[in-house]
Amino acid sequence: MEVLLGITGKDFCIVAASKAAMRGASILKANDDKTRTLNKNTLMAFSGEPGDTVQFAEYIQANIQLYSMRNSSDLSPFEVSSFVRAELAKSLRSRSPYTVNLLLGGYDSIKQKPELYWIDYLASSAPVPYAAHGYAQYYCLSILDKHHHPDISFEQGMKILRMCTDELKRRLPIDFKGVNVKIIDKDGIREEPYSDDKQVYAP
Amino acid sequence: MAALSHHHLSSTAPFAFQQAPPQNHSGEPTQHAFYPYTDNGGSTLGISGKTFTVIAGDTRSTSGYNINTRYAPKLYPIGGQGPTHKGSKIVLSVVGFAADGRALQERLDTVVKMYRYQHGCEISVKACAQRLSHILYNKRFFPYYVQAILGGIDEETGEGALYSYDPVGSYEREYCRAAGAAASLIMPFLDNQVNLKNQYEPAAVSGFDKKQLVPQPLERPQVEELVRDAFTSAVERHIEVGDGLQMMFITKEGIEEVYFPLKKD
Amino acid sequence: MSSPFSINGGACVAMRGKNCVAIACDLRLGLQSLTVSNNFPKIFQYSPTAFLGLTGLATDVSTVSELFRYKVNMYRLREERDIAPKTFAQLVSSSLYERRFGPWFVSPVVAGIDGKSGAPFICGFDSIGCIDYAADFIVSGTASDQLFGTCEGLWEPDLEPDDLFETISQALLNAVDRDALSGWGAHVYIIEKDKVTKRLLKGRQD
Repeated sequence: MEVLLGITGKDFCIVAASKAAMRGASILKANDDKTRTLNKNTLMAFSGEPGDTVQFAEYIQANIQLYSMRNSSDLSPFEVSSFVRAELAKSLRSRSPYTVNLLLGGYDSIKQKPELYWIDYLASSAPVPYAAHGYAQYYCLSILDKHHHPDISFEQGMKILRMCTDELKRRLPIDFKGVNVKIIDKDGIREEPYSDDKQVYAP
Repeated sequence: MAALSHHHLSSTAPFAFQQAPPQNHSGEPTQHAFYPYTDNGGSTLGISGKTFTVIAGDTRSTSGYNINTRYAPKLYPIGGQGPTHKGSKIVLSVVGFAADGRALQERLDTVVKMYRYQHGCEISVKACAQRLSHILYNKRFFPYYVQAILGGIDEETGEGALYSYDPVGSYEREYCRAAGAAASLIMPFLDNQVNLKNQYEPAAVSGFDKKQLVPQPLERPQVEELVRDAFTSAVERHIEVGDGLQMMFITKEGIEEVYFPLKKD
Repeated sequence: MSSPFSINGGACVAMRGKNCVAIACDLRLGLQSLTVSNNFPKIFQYSPTAFLGLTGLATDVSTVSELFRYKVNMYRLREERDIAPKTFAQLVSSSLYERRFGPWFVSPVVAGIDGKSGAPFICGFDSIGCIDYAADFIVSGTASDQLFGTCEGLWEPDLEPDDLFETISQALLNAVDRDALSGWGAHVYIIEKDKVTKRLLKGRQD
C-alpha cells in the first residue's frame, strides 16, 4: 500500500510519496520519507521490499554524489536514469536482486524541461509525463490521463495531485498517512507543505 | 511390455481375470486420467454480404502433430431434408473439438426440424441463432468445446446474417468472424479488408478531419477471393490448417458449396 | 501471462520491398494489463541503413539495445566504417548465444540495406540467437500471430517504398488492434539506399 506519484508540468516536477512505513498489518512510522536527493536537480522516490529500498537508494545517492564531487558537475536527469537503470538491471540478474520500484523526478537545466522516469524492479525504464507505482497506478493514472497536460502550471499540478491523493484516501483500505511532496524545478529541490487534515469519505 | 509378459510366464499364468492395479515405481497406484476433450485444430470464417452469407472452413482434422484426415467438413447445413440437406438455408460451422461439433450439429439440426413439424414453417435465422445459444448454455458446466459460427439469410431484410458464438453460448451478430486455430491470423486481416479498419479517405489521412472508410457490403467474387486469400495465408503459417477449403454460399435460393484444394503439407 | 516475453507487450515487423526495406514497431509499454507508457519505441538505429527492432521484456530491450550501441561503436572505431546489416545480424546472433543458458528475453528483428551493394536485408532471431533469414517479412512480439496473418495476406514482392510503407503500416496497425498487449501508436522506418524516412502513426489509443 505504498504510494508513489509523479507529475510533470510546464517548468516543474512534483514527486509525492506516502509517509507510512508499514510491516505486515502494522504501521511503524507515520512520517517516513521515501525519497532521496541525488543531486541538485534530481530526486528519487522508492518503494518495494523493506530494506532493499533504502539500501539501494542510498547506494545510488552516494554514487551520484561522488560523480558530482569528482567532476564538479551534475549528471542530467536522463543520465541519472541511465545509471540507475543499469544498476538495477545488473542487480536483476544477480544472486539477490533488489526489489525496488522507483520514480525519478528531475529538471534538466540545459533543456529547461522537467523530466520524470518510471522505473520498476525489473529495471524497465520509461520517460513519462506522469507516473505512479503500486496500487496508486490503478487509482491515479486514469485521473492523470483525464486532467494532465504538458503545459500545466504548478498550481494546476498541485490541484491534480490533490485529486489523486483524495482518491487514494477514498479507495485504499489502509491509511497511508498522507504524502510527502517534493518539487524539482529550475531552483533545485524543495519540500512543499501538503496539508492532510481534510477528511475524505468514500461514497 | 515384453519384459512384463516374460515375468508373468515364469511365475503365473499370462492372463488374469483380476488384474492388480498398475503400480508405478514408487509403489503407489497409477492414476489414469480421462480427458473428455481434444483439439482437432482447423479454422473457419464467415462473412455476410448484401444478399448472401459465406461460411468457410478448412477440411484438415488433426490431433497433436498427426493428421487424422484431410477431408473432414466443419460446415453443416442445418434443417434440410434427407442426406443432401435439401431446402436448408442455414449453415453451422464448428471448430475446436470435432466430436462436440458433430453432437452440436445433430442437436441443432433436430431442433430446427422439430420446429418445422411443430410450427409448419421454417425457423428464422434469428430464432435459430438464439436457440443455438441456449443449446450451448445448457451445457454451461460441461461445454461443447467448440467455437461456432452460424450463417443464413435475414428474412426481414433479405441480407446475409452471421452469428458467432463462444463455447458457452455468448453470441453476437456480425459482418465477419474468424474462428479456430488460425483465428488470430485471419481476424485482423478481415478487420482490414472487410470492415476497412485503419483505412481512411485519401483526402485527409491524418489529423482531426480524417474519416474512416465506411464498409460497403461486398460482392460475391470479392468475398470468395478474400476467403481464399485468408485461408492460403493461414495455411502458410499454421500447421493445423490446410488440405482443402470448403465454402458454402447461402442465398435466398439455398446453399451452394464450393471446394478449393489447399496445400497438403 | 507470466512469460517474460509477454509481461510488457509489444510488436515489431520488418518487410522487404524493391531496393528498400521497412521496419515498424508499436509504442506500448505495459505491466501485464496496465499500460504504463505510450511512448516506448522498440526500433534502434546502428548505422545509416541498419536497424534493430526488439520486443520482449522491456528491461532487456533497453539493456540489449544499449549493449549493441556499445558493440557497434567499438566496431566502427576498430574498422573505421559503418557496420553492414548482414554483419550486424551475425553480431546479434553471437551476442545472444553468449547467454545460451540465461538468455535475454527479447525477439530481435534486423532490417537494413547493404551500404555497398544496396541489397535489402531482413532477418529475425529467437532469444538465443538462431537467425531466421527471410525474403518476405519477419514478425516478433506479443502480436506475432496477428502479424503473420496480416503480413501473409497483404505483402507482395517488389513493393516500391510508398507502397511498402502502406503495407507495413496496415499490417502492423491491424495486427496490434487485435492484441491487448500491443498498440498505442507506431513508428515506421522506410529504408532506401541513401534515404531513411521515419513516420509516426497514431493508431488506436486503447
